[in-house]
Amino acid sequence: MKYILMMNTMKQGQEQQGILSWPKHDLDAHIAHMIKLNQDLAASGEFVSAEGLTFPDQATRVRAGNDGTPITDGVFPESKEFLAGYWIVDVPTPERAYAIAARASAAPGPGGKPLNMWIEVRPIMSGPPK
Amino acid sequence: MKYILMMTANKSEWESFAKWSKEDLAANVAFMRNFTKQLKEEGVFVATEGLGWPQQAKIVRAGANGLPATDGVFPESKEFLAGYWIIDVESPDQAYKIAARVSAAPGLGGKPGSMPIEVRPVLSGFSDMGL
Repeated sequence: MKYILMMNTMKQGQEQQGILSWPKHDLDAHIAHMIKLNQDLAASGEFVSAEGLTFPDQATRVRAGNDGTPITDGVFPESKEFLAGYWIVDVPTPERAYAIAARASAAPGPGGKPLNMWIEVRPIMSGPPK
Repeated sequence: MKYILMMTANKSEWESFAKWSKEDLAANVAFMRNFTKQLKEEGVFVATEGLGWPQQAKIVRAGANGLPATDGVFPESKEFLAGYWIIDVESPDQAYKIAARVSAAPGLGGKPGSMPIEVRPVLSGFSDMGL
């Protein structure tokens, strides 16, 4: 069963932007944690894919106008959560997905302390809803 | 440059999808399948996934001992990711045009839904963030 593990961030919380002001060794430890997690998932055969997204300031909202041409807007509600990145894993149980999410959650932050950030975990559909 | 196109909906919008007629749902699914096929033919397709329902979502964080602490309660305002496409295109404008196509997917009564799609560049690595 495939699960997606989503790391979300608030625009106002500046959590994601804040990463740019971390001391270099804290940043290096964070990146090393994430790289090691991906390597371990690849080695255990549970890795499907992972992507990191650019900062919320690069997000655009698009919808089709009457003639089908794109209407773009860059204004989002203050309460909006932005996806920072995700992993897709293929695991036998939800508990295994939660355990992997906890590892990502514990990625080191400033001073090397675990961030313990929230990770949203949801099954992936293998086809459209019945 | 890779872009992600994200379709999101809050809980009440998800509940309204469940009430669509079978025909409307089938038209939407057929559109989505054809859309992915077209992206492949155009050589811009990278990946796509549809996600499970919000009731299946859990929020997980590491406890003090590193063990997962799970919770299923989300704010009413939360937008849940319904699905995404990743495309590889030359310009943001090309990404927006493709987003507009999926925005016009048929909705209730077969009318174009005009749902908002969030478009954002995907990082090819931490170096893209200047890290």
